[in-house]
Amino acid sequence: MSEEIIYIKNLFANRGIILNNKLEHLFDAFVKDEFNIKAVQQILENQKMLTEKWKLKNRISDILQQPVSIPNGTVNKPYEAKLDFIKLGWNEIVFFELFGLDDLGLIYEPLEEVISGIPLKNGDLKFVLKFRVEGELEDSELHEKTISFVVNPDPKSLWKDIKSDESDPYWKEDNITSSGKLGEKNIVVASKRGRSHANVGSFRDDHFTFKHLDNTGWSIIALADGAGSSKISRDGSKTACDGIINYFSENLSTEIFKEFDILLKDHCVGSGENTLKKLNHFVYNNLGKAALDIHKSLEQRANKLEVNLKDLHTTLIFVLLKKYEFGYAILSFGVGDCPIGLINKDLSSVNLMNWLDVGEFGGGTRFITMPEIFQSEKFATRFGFKIVEDFSYLMLMTDGIYDPKFVVEANLDKIEKWLEFLEDLNGKNEDNIKVDFIKDNTEIETQLSKWMDFWSPGNHDDRTLAVIF
Amino acid sequence: MRRLPVYFLLDTSGSMYGEPIQALNNALSGMINTLRTDPQALDSLWISVITFDREVKEIVPLTELVSFQLPEIVCPQSGPTHTGAALEVLYQKVITDVRKGTSDQKGDWKPLFFLFTDGKPSDIQLYRQMISQIKSLNFGAVVGCAAGHLADDSLLKELTDSVVHLDTCDSTTLKTFFKWVSDTIEQGNKSQGTGESVELPAPPSEIHLVI
Repeated sequence: MSEEIIYIKNLFANRGIILNNKLEHLFDAFVKDEFNIKAVQQILENQKMLTEKWKLKNRISDILQQPVSIPNGTVNKPYEAKLDFIKLGWNEIVFFELFGLDDLGLIYEPLEEVISGIPLKNGDLKFVLKFRVEGELEDSELHEKTISFVVNPDPKSLWKDIKSDESDPYWKEDNITSSGKLGEKNIVVASKRGRSHANVGSFRDDHFTFKHLDNTGWSIIALADGAGSSKISRDGSKTACDGIINYFSENLSTEIFKEFDILLKDHCVGSGENTLKKLNHFVYNNLGKAALDIHKSLEQRANKLEVNLKDLHTTLIFVLLKKYEFGYAILSFGVGDCPIGLINKDLSSVNLMNWLDVGEFGGGTRFITMPEIFQSEKFATRFGFKIVEDFSYLMLMTDGIYDPKFVVEANLDKIEKWLEFLEDLNGKNEDNIKVDFIKDNTEIETQLSKWMDFWSPGNHDDRTLAVIF
Repeated sequence: MRRLPVYFLLDTSGSMYGEPIQALNNALSGMINTLRTDPQALDSLWISVITFDREVKEIVPLTELVSFQLPEIVCPQSGPTHTGAALEVLYQKVITDVRKGTSDQKGDWKPLFFLFTDGKPSDIQLYRQMISQIKSLNFGAVVGCAAGHLADDSLLKELTDSVVHLDTCDSTTLKTFFKWVSDTIEQGNKSQGTGESVELPAPPSEIHLVI
């Protein structure tokens, strides 16, 4: 039975027209009439057309309303997003064009179905998809769908550089450098306020000091990093560094350190017994006293300023250095997360003079202001002592340098990481900024300070680096 | 890179239906936009959003701010508030998401946790059980926010010392609250002593600190 006859039968049935046997003849003739058949065909075609048209409208409306999320971009950072028509279920789209991408710095590559480029501006941005779906006439007007996506600003462009308030009682320079001679060695230090501070006009919390005592031949170098979460830790780091210089300026010329000279000589010529043990004991005793003295002066300082001791929270590393006829004696102490690295003469090995107080979470460390560090059984391991014929570099740095350049503690033991660091200082960096570690380089402070502006996402803490060479 | 993981637990129980959920959506989206203009946040912030009503849903797994897309938060017209179950999910997520520092892995900043509710836990027993576990996670800050007159401050106080109360759940109040949240987040990435927690900025007048 043809489609047309079925249609007519159904039509009559729906209208309550009963076709009994008597009418069979008549019906046969009726459905053979070409005019009637054509009429049915016309109806069926119209029905089909209406259904298709409705489906099409519906489909277009679905596409127009379908939420499309494409990945966020960032200004100045290469962007790539696939506009995956199959995944989006847009198989029926037979023709489309994208408008408005140029203005955003993007293009569409039809072969790969990829939007790419380098976004020029940030915000909730929009572009327009104009399309036609299967079944529409080629000259029919295109449908328009607006697709929005987020472009983040370039973080680099957001950092502000707000000068710190010089009238603040605890003010210190945002950037400071220094250089000089430590006997036969040279030292250069730069300390720079972190971008996170500059952004809000707050102060540098790092501090450093160094001094060479001509009368005894000893050099003292100290670095400290005030806790970011403490109110006047910048004063704590200063108090700690200044305290170390004061303490040793008084104590290094005393009989006590003359005893050290004798002990060391005995050790190096091999006379005397248990000399290394005695030396280590000496370091522990005398540098330990200094550390405790600093802790006490910080306590006094807190009392004087009528603040809590934790408001002065600061890390502290310091080194004592002296040249003897057989080489250098290097003594160190450290609390916090600032490493001291000693690189040998031919750059083949490194000695990490201290271990770092790094907690399981970022930023968690220990401070010289914490009384518990003196009671801890690990206190004895905070000291370092080395006798070397010579060395190429002795470096002290705060975590503002260590975090971006060494990332994790394990890297501090690897000479290859220190060699990379030296290459970096030697100009192998994004900005090709070089520090010439040569004697009498009058530009060295500026060079180091410029080098210190390096960009490292997520690392915007104060940076302090002291290099003895 | 060091990440600052921030977890939001949002009450989407029946009482939030209508204007409050709309206000919450607006306020959250405003907060995300604010954070996008903070270079520090763009570099380090990771956000996770978990909603809870009868069901607990991690609607956005821990995602860096740069790629973060906030979906519309919806809520059923009625139903209980399974805060305890939400804490259970949070606990698992933090255990798996947050990286701890080792000698060869950089630890995340201490995670922050904001709990927003306009009622009180329907699963009070589980809620109380989870409190000690949540405390063991060593968050940099846990902030409980009780919004509206039906919210129970004292139960939040059992979870954390930092509880704030909002008189209403309207758009302006929520916006102010989430602006304060973004200020708090900005405190989250600073060095501090081991065992110490993040100091919260002073809240604006619409937000009452519950003592």
